[in-house]
Amino acid sequence: MNETWRLIDMRIEDAPTQMSIDEAIAKARLKENNPNTIRLYRWNPSAVSIGYFQSIEKEVNIQSCKDLGVDIIRRITGGGAVYHDYNGEITYSLVAPVNHPKIPADILDSYSKICGAIANGLKGLGIDAAFKPVNDIVAGKQKISGNAQTRRYGVVLQHGTILVDSDIETMFKVLRVSDIKISDKMLKAVQDRVTNLRRYLDRDITFEETKEALLDGFEKTFEISLEPGELTTYEEELVNELFEKYSSEDWVFQR
Amino acid sequence: MKKAEYKIPGGKLIAVELKISKNIIEYVKISGDFFMHPEESILDLEKQLKGVKTEDFPRYIDEFFVDRDIILYGINPKDFKQVIKMALDN
Repeated sequence: MNETWRLIDMRIEDAPTQMSIDEAIAKARLKENNPNTIRLYRWNPSAVSIGYFQSIEKEVNIQSCKDLGVDIIRRITGGGAVYHDYNGEITYSLVAPVNHPKIPADILDSYSKICGAIANGLKGLGIDAAFKPVNDIVAGKQKISGNAQTRRYGVVLQHGTILVDSDIETMFKVLRVSDIKISDKMLKAVQDRVTNLRRYLDRDITFEETKEALLDGFEKTFEISLEPGELTTYEEELVNELFEKYSSEDWVFQR
Repeated sequence: MKKAEYKIPGGKLIAVELKISKNIIEYVKISGDFFMHPEESILDLEKQLKGVKTEDFPRYIDEFFVDRDIILYGINPKDFKQVIKMALDN
């Protein structure tokens, strides 16, 4: 009998709500003895999320975001800046205790396992996907997913982006590419290092099809059954509390 | 303001901004796309470096990571030293 984990399926929310939900699930996991949880979700309006340690000025073209109606949020996790395109991106998150037998204790090994589940899901769509340390998943040689993990409240929280049909031109309008990263290369070359499912497969692909593939990847890799569920009352309360933090300028502009 | 940016071998980026007055670090802000758990310990590291003589900063970084339960991923203590050294040399 496979262990059952909770699936919170494809909630569409704004940036502060999404980040609050991820942290609320992490915070409540041991307190309420909740099941381990996998979430798939989309961001409306589209948003840029930056890593905990990133400089907002350096990473984000704030004016472009304003012009395009794109939200900006700082994550609780480290890592890089991500453009969450409402029309072309799925984010996942996973919460499980740090000492859970299915989650490797070593950080690199745990990224490898969780990103491996995503990669396995993408393989089901015919994509040559693989985890690429430090925290990426590549399709062939191009980045198709970025991932970020934190460990607190006694749990591992990992979330990440899967580019389905993201507008890569807009992505590079709202994100600033560090000079040092594009040294000796044209921006075009940088853009060519990123792809999405539609571009890679060269066919239309729906969120539904992507979702099914990702869930299959999680279930097979972790040997679990996913059962659709909702947030608990306590988790919803935490979301309301955390929302204030995530939507405050003090939080978003702290670095 | 002294600034530097350093691409860590393996892909992550670290940047620093320093204000130096009379050979003393008065202000330090570290940023980048690395991982450090718990994340808030970056504030403690910045605090630790404030008021330190510029020639002494490597020792303070070494001391900071001893006796603390901090996990670094995609970065090492020597990368913090490297980027601060680069900023001081700028």
